[in-house]
Amino acid sequence: MTPAIDVHDLTVAYREKPALWDVDLAIPTGSLMAIVGPNGAGKTTLLKSILGLIPAVAGNVSIHGEPFRTGRRRVAYVPQKSSVDWDFPTTVFDLVRMGTYGRLGWFRRPGAAEREATTTALRRVGLGDLGDRQIGQLSGGQQQRAFLARALVQDADVYALDEPLQGVDAVTERAVMDILRDLRNAGKTIVAVHHDLHTVPAYFDSVTLLNVKVIASGPVGDAFTPENLKLAYGDAARV
Amino acid sequence: MIGLFDEPAVRTVALGTAAIGALAGFIGTFAVVRRQSLLGDAISHAALPGLALAFLLGARSPIVLIAGAAVAGWIAMALVAGMVRGRHASFDTALGGALAVFFGIGLALLTAIQKHVPDATRHGLDRYLFGQAAIMDETDVRVVAAVGLVSLGIVLALWKPIQLLCFDPDFAAVQGWPIRRLDALLAALVVVATVTGLQAVGVVLMSSLLVAPAVAARQWLNRLGPMAALAAAFGGFAGFAGTIGSHLLSADNRTVPTGPVIVLVATALVAISLARSLFARRVVVLARATS
Amino acid sequence: MIDTMLVMAAVAAACAVPGVFLVLRKMVLVGDAMSHVLLLGIVLAFFVVRDPASPALFFGAAAAGVVTVALVELLQHTRLLKEDAAIGLVFPALFSIGTLLASMYLRNTHLDVDRVLLGSAELAYLDRFTIAGRDLGPRGFAVPAMVFLATVFLVAVAYKELKLVSFDPGLATTLGFKPALVHYALMLGVSLTTVSAFDAVGPVLVLAFFAVPPAAARLLTNRLSILLVLSVAIAVSAALAGTWLAFRLDITTAGTVCTVLGTLFALTILAAPDRGLIAELLRRRRLIRELHGTLLVVHLHRHEGTPAEAEESRREGLEAHLNWSREQTARVSRRAQAEGWIVAVGDCWKLTDAGRDRAKAAGT
Repeated sequence: MTPAIDVHDLTVAYREKPALWDVDLAIPTGSLMAIVGPNGAGKTTLLKSILGLIPAVAGNVSIHGEPFRTGRRRVAYVPQKSSVDWDFPTTVFDLVRMGTYGRLGWFRRPGAAEREATTTALRRVGLGDLGDRQIGQLSGGQQQRAFLARALVQDADVYALDEPLQGVDAVTERAVMDILRDLRNAGKTIVAVHHDLHTVPAYFDSVTLLNVKVIASGPVGDAFTPENLKLAYGDAARV
Repeated sequence: MIGLFDEPAVRTVALGTAAIGALAGFIGTFAVVRRQSLLGDAISHAALPGLALAFLLGARSPIVLIAGAAVAGWIAMALVAGMVRGRHASFDTALGGALAVFFGIGLALLTAIQKHVPDATRHGLDRYLFGQAAIMDETDVRVVAAVGLVSLGIVLALWKPIQLLCFDPDFAAVQGWPIRRLDALLAALVVVATVTGLQAVGVVLMSSLLVAPAVAARQWLNRLGPMAALAAAFGGFAGFAGTIGSHLLSADNRTVPTGPVIVLVATALVAISLARSLFARRVVVLARATS
Repeated sequence: MIDTMLVMAAVAAACAVPGVFLVLRKMVLVGDAMSHVLLLGIVLAFFVVRDPASPALFFGAAAAGVVTVALVELLQHTRLLKEDAAIGLVFPALFSIGTLLASMYLRNTHLDVDRVLLGSAELAYLDRFTIAGRDLGPRGFAVPAMVFLATVFLVAVAYKELKLVSFDPGLATTLGFKPALVHYALMLGVSLTTVSAFDAVGPVLVLAFFAVPPAAARLLTNRLSILLVLSVAIAVSAALAGTWLAFRLDITTAGTVCTVLGTLFALTILAAPDRGLIAELLRRRRLIRELHGTLLVVHLHRHEGTPAEAEESRREGLEAHLNWSREQTARVSRRAQAEGWIVAVGDCWKLTDAGRDRAKAAGT
């Protein structure tokens, strides 16, 4: 069976220093996978180069068997929430509805079906009452949930999230993980850059340990071992 | 004031500057929300060598000169984007450097023109630097209106990807939108709007018309589409009121230039809008304190 | 011509020093705003002293520059608009007031708006600069030269602070420096430099002198001290070459110097040893070449001692396994052979010890 994401010999370099070195990675369909590693390990770089946002020096990526250029449309991307300007003039509802733009194509306007999907997604992340708010008025956790809702309306096969639990409150953390688990149970593939080693076994079913190279990748039980953590983090690793 | 509007010359100029203001306010909105407010400043300066070169090659019609200016402005923007993408310079350095170097090249070309082209005077340069709204005729107004309608049409047709590009370009790229090309298109719209207004209001003041209406509109509205519409209205009002105002202020022994008055009207709109936002915020704080 | 060269060199050197800090702190466009507002300062100061030759005009202009920065920061602090929008609002507004006042009240004075805007290096040396009756050379040279010496002195005195504030303002605060103080001192320096350069190059082209030499030098070095020296060197050589060219072609000096600056910058981007486009291209090619060499030894290593070894390592047809073109495979093999990673044994490639080490080091 083709994996949801197949990364083959991927090398990415910022100037002379490789940020990712010859990465091979297969993420099976239906995984709920965390990408962890020390600072500067290339976690975000890996996610972004899978989506073609950073050019690779060598190697290729396929998504459900398609090259990333076409395959990435099947991915719902949740960027770090610090990557956008929250003073931008848009309401929460409009932001979430942006998730439907991809399937509408160039000229079709969002209609009743898109309105319906947006309302459902807002309710699902617990922002049902806040659709008319300006996005700058949301708390950090609510902003993260709005981003997740935008990914949900996209109705994708793969969900790629960059630090979805960074700086959010406990309620949001629970809500996000519940939704990700539901998606996994519906047969979707989820891959998330994650920074908190403690919560890996509780939240995820598989893990990739990254430090410029892939140290280990697989089910949490096999890959998330003290030896591998030591390889990835050096002696500083504590779980 | 009503009587003033009956004078056909004044009416034409007022309509023309209103159209320029509306166009600049509308297109400027997209530059401001992308934190690229100074794009217009750079483009209007960088347009000079294109203008000079077109003149040197024999062009005299305004349309061809504007096209030359637009090409130079667009090249400057492409260079800035390339330098930033290749990490050769940060955005501010690239923009400031390109602005001044292009302007310098333009000046060098202009002085060469004065030496070698017999019918050239400094008049063209003065007009470019400070603008000369008074000589707008109906053809000019029609050109501005046509540019405005085409820009509006493009933005409306591509509304979804433009909105995505302004807010979250990475997300747009993953959805499959060609953001590099959309980015170049949006830059082209800013370039065209800028050079269209140059002859009437001049270099420095054109950059203001791209920024001020959008900043003012942002204080009243929270959504991109309505904000762009209000910015167009503000820009149109500033152009119209500024022209009438400069005529009212002019007396027999002195003429008040139109461009600066337009800018001051636009700035006054911003001041009122900012004051309103600050006041609203204080009310919220007070309400929280007393409840 | 020599006089004009002196003027341009002094202006270029004076601008390059504060320019380095503007570029490092990403504040070039603040410099743009300041230079446009000087006109207003000059006009206001003229209203007070009524003498176009008074030094009060100089300081009025410098003060206007600093007031502009303060105004931009005040607007930013409301958090209702971003820095770029604040700059784009403030300077056209103040510039408009300046032009209005000048055109309404100063029609018949010696304040020529055109000259104030574009500068005129050719005329700048006509004014002599005198202190207590002693002639200190052309005004257009003496003033920027003095400003240059003053900024060099200030940078030398506050070198550590400037370095810290430029590269790490957060750390500077925790260490007890006052970034705000250094910041406003720097802004005052930029403002004074701009005013001193005004006669010769005007407010627009001065931006090229601030931005371009440091940006070019930035591509050549990461060390602040070298950056400062290089910027001044680039600026002065462009000034000399540009002035010479302008006299040869009989065109505007300031504009030509800017053109030379732009050309120098383009050359630097192309040819800078580490960060230039050519260097980047070569590095990319080398990286890909190394990667391919490594992939080849990894491939051979993976099949070493397996039944498929003979098939997987045969020199003819190797390209099919690696999914490379025939030429590319031949090229990579040749290079790996020259590096001593592989040797030809019969029909096949065999790994040497060095090749085996390299394959293991690649982490597969």
